[in-house]
Amino acid sequence: MTALEFHGVRVRLGRGRRAVDVVHGVDLTVPAGTVTGLVGTSGCGKSTLARAAVGLVPLAAGRIAPAGGVQLVFQDPYSSLDPRMTIGAAVAEAVPRRVRDRAGEVRRLLDLVGLEPEHAGRLPRHLSGGQRQRVAIARALAARPGVVIADEITSSLDVSVQGMVLNLIRELQRELGLTMLFISHNLAVVRYVSDRVAVMDAGRIVESGPVDDVLSAPRNPYTRALLDSVPKLG
Amino acid sequence: MRGLKNPLGIAALVSLVFLLFMVVLGPILWGEEAVRTDTMALTQGVSAAHPMGTDGLGRDVLARVMAASRSSVGLALLATAVAVAGGLLLGALPAVLGRRAAGLLNGFVSLVVAFPGLLIALVLAVVLGSGGRSAAFAIGLASVPAFARLTQTLAASVAGRDFVAAARVLGVGRARMLFRHILPNIGEPLIVQATLGAGGALLAFAALSFLGLGVQAPDYDWGLLLNEGLNRVYVNPAAALAPGIAVVLAGLAFNILGEYAAQVFGGRDTIARAEGRSARPVPGDALIVRDLRVSFGPAVPVKGVSFTVAPGERVGLVGESGSGKSLTALAVAGLVEPPGVVTGTIEAGETAMVFQDPMTSLNPALRVGTQIAEVATTHQRLSRRDAARRAVARLADVHIGAPARVAGQYPHELSGGMRQRAMIAMGLMGAPRLIVADEPTTALDVTVQKQILDLLREASTTSGAAVLLISHDLAVVAQLCSRVLVMYAGVIVEDLTTERLVAGPAHPYTRALLASVPDMSADRSLPLATIHGRMPSPAEPVTGCPFAPRCPRADERCLTAMPPFTSASGGGGVACWHPVRETGGGPVTRPDEEAPDEEDPMRRTR
Ligand code: SF4
Repeated sequence: MTALEFHGVRVRLGRGRRAVDVVHGVDLTVPAGTVTGLVGTSGCGKSTLARAAVGLVPLAAGRIAPAGGVQLVFQDPYSSLDPRMTIGAAVAEAVPRRVRDRAGEVRRLLDLVGLEPEHAGRLPRHLSGGQRQRVAIARALAARPGVVIADEITSSLDVSVQGMVLNLIRELQRELGLTMLFISHNLAVVRYVSDRVAVMDAGRIVESGPVDDVLSAPRNPYTRALLDSVPKLG
Repeated sequence: MRGLKNPLGIAALVSLVFLLFMVVLGPILWGEEAVRTDTMALTQGVSAAHPMGTDGLGRDVLARVMAASRSSVGLALLATAVAVAGGLLLGALPAVLGRRAAGLLNGFVSLVVAFPGLLIALVLAVVLGSGGRSAAFAIGLASVPAFARLTQTLAASVAGRDFVAAARVLGVGRARMLFRHILPNIGEPLIVQATLGAGGALLAFAALSFLGLGVQAPDYDWGLLLNEGLNRVYVNPAAALAPGIAVVLAGLAFNILGEYAAQVFGGRDTIARAEGRSARPVPGDALIVRDLRVSFGPAVPVKGVSFTVAPGERVGLVGESGSGKSLTALAVAGLVEPPGVVTGTIEAGETAMVFQDPMTSLNPALRVGTQIAEVATTHQRLSRRDAARRAVARLADVHIGAPARVAGQYPHELSGGMRQRAMIAMGLMGAPRLIVADEPTTALDVTVQKQILDLLREASTTSGAAVLLISHDLAVVAQLCSRVLVMYAGVIVEDLTTERLVAGPAHPYTRALLASVPDMSADRSLPLATIHGRMPSPAEPVTGCPFAPRCPRADERCLTAMPPFTSASGGGGVACWHPVRETGGGPVTRPDEEAPDEEDPMRRTR
C-alpha cells in the first residue's frame, strides 16, 4: 500500500498577471491504508489540491507522491459520467489494458459497488444519483489505484442515499486497504469515515490530527468556527 | 409531440415538408416542362398558360423555378457539408495535436475568421473555376473558419466538464477523448448552427450564380434564373420575382428549422424570477393549502397535500428528491409551468420566493439594485428614485455592508451568500406575509449557511412574515423552524414539532431518515442505517401505504389500504397504521388498536 504525500505543494491558477495562488505550500501525509478527511469552506483550495494530486492542474512548486495510480471520484455524478456512454462502457474504459476478461471485470466491479450486471447496458440518465455515484466509484476502482481521492462525493445525493454511499466507501476502503483522501464540507460525514482530519483555510492546512482530537478539542479558531456552524438537531 | 403544440414547431414542420416536397418532386413534376422550348412563346409576360411568363427560349419560368429547387437546395447542402466537415476537422484537431501545433492552428483560425465569408467565397470561386460544384466548395470553404471557431469553443466548454476530467485521470488517450467524449456532446449545437448555415449558404449560392460565378447554363439554379429574369425585368417582372421568392422562402425554411432545433436542444431556458404573487389576502393564516395536487400527464408528483401556516410561523417541508416538496413550494408560489396541472386550493398572502441558486434567479445582465428596485416600481408603483432608495435600504437590512456599492454591482460579482442575501432583500421589498425558501442554503458553505438561516429568522420576526423552508436536510430545518412537515411520495406523512422530531418521530419513514444521517455523535463502528429499496415514482399507482415496501413495520393492511392522515390532539399528526409511540410529545390519536411491535424500525445494512 502507498501513502499519499504532499510536500510544499503550491498551485497557481490563471495566467500572467491574473494568476493567483490557490494552494500555498501544503504539507500533508495520508498514511497508507487509512482515511484522512479534508474539510474547509468552498474556495479554500481543497478541490484544487485534489485535482493537483491526479495531475489535472500543474504544480507551481512542491511534490506529490505517488506520481501515478491515484484516482479521483467527483462530486457530481450527473456531470462526471459521459451522458452518451453506457455504464458498462464507462467502467470498461477504466479497466487496465492487461486485463483479459474485460466483461468479467466490469461485472465484478459493478457487483463490488452493489449494482446488477444488467446496469452495464444502461445510460447514466436511467440511473438514480446514488447509482451513478456507485458507477463513478466502480470506475475509479477499475484502474486498481493505490490511492483514491473522494471530492464531495455525497454532497449532491439525497440523505438516505448518502448513507448507503458512505457505508459502501467505508466497506471498500477496509476490504481493499485503500489509502483515501476524503474531501467534504460536511464535518459529520468526515468524522464518520475518517481516521484523521485536516482543516484547510485559504489555501493552507491550519490544523490536522486524529479525528477525535481535532473535533473534540480544536486548537485553531477557524476549526472552531467551522464546528460551531454545523447545524444540529435539537 | 410537444413540438406540435407550439407555433414554431408547426412552422418548422411545414418548412420541412415544403423543402422536401420541392427537392424531391420539383424536378420530377416540372423537369420536362422546364426545358421544353416553345418558339411560339418567347419572352412572354404573365398568362394563364404561363403564370410567371416565359424566358428567352419560351420555357415556362414557374416550371424552371420549381425544377431548380433540387439543384439550388442540394448545392447549398453540399456547401454546408463542406463547411461542417472542414470546421470539425480544424476545430477539433487542436484537441489531439501537441501544444505548439494546436497554438498555430488556433492562430490561423482566428486570423481567417476575421475576413468576411462572402469575400473569401468570391475569391475562392474565381480560383476554383465556375460551375455548381466548385461554387459549392467555395462557399463551403469560406464558412469553414466560422464552424471551426464554433467547434473550438464548444469543445472547450465540454472539455471543462467533470466527465472529461475523469477520463483524463483514467489516462484515456486524446483521440479517444475526442471521438468518444467530446464530439458526441457538441453535436446538438452544431446541428443547429449547420441548419442556420444552410440558409446562409443558399443565399450565398444564389448570389454567386447571379454574378455568373456559380451554376453555368444549360444547368440552372435560382441565382441564375434571377440573373436571367433581371435582364428582362421591364418586360416581365414576374420572371425575376419568382426565383427571388423561392430563395427567400427556402432560406426562411432553413432558418425556422434551425430555430426550432435550437429550441428543442436548448431546452427550456426560462429564468425564474422571484415575484411576489399576490393572491387573495387571507385574514387569518399566512398560507392555507387544501388538497393540492400537481400532475404532469399520468405522473402525479404531488398527491393531495393539505396544511396551513400560521402568521409568522416557520415551517419546514422536508423530503428526498422525488417526494414532491419542491413542486409543492412552486405551486404555493404559483410558479408551476405547463404542462404541469395544479388543482386544489391555495390561499396565500403576498409571497416572496427564495431559490436554491440565486445565480439562476437573478438576471445576470441587470445590476443587483436595479433588479431589486424593479419589484417596487412594477408592484407598488414607486417612482424609480424611491424604489432605488428602498432597494439600498433593504440591502442594508439583510446586513450587506456597503449596500449602495453592492446595488451597483452585477450578480456574478457577488459571492453565493451575498446573492442569497440580495434575493431575500428582493423578497422584503413588498410586505410579504410568507417567504417560501426552496433549499436556500444547499449551495452555500456551512458558515454562510448559518448566517442565511439566521437572516431568514430575523426577516420573519421583524416583518412578521411566515416562512416555508423546503429542505432535504433535517438539521437545517430544525435550526430555523418550529414545525416540520415530512413528505414522502407526494403526500405529507408526518406533521410534527421540532422537539418531537428530535425526541423521536412517530412515522417509520421520519425515523429512518433521521437515522441515516450521521451527526457529530454518530457511532463510527457501526454502519449507517439505510432505507432499502426506493421511493415509488410519481407515475406508479400506489395502493396502500407508499412506504410499505420499505417499512419494517408493514403488515397486510399497510399493503392494501392507504393510511389516512390522522391529527393528534396536541397538534400535528401522522399518516401511518402503526406509528411508533416510544417517546414523548403529544399522544397520537390512532384509528384502532395497539401497534403489535415496537422494535427498532431500522435495518442496519449496507
Ligand atoms: S402505514 Fe404501515 S407501511 Fe406505512 S409507514 Fe406505517 S407501518 Fe409502515
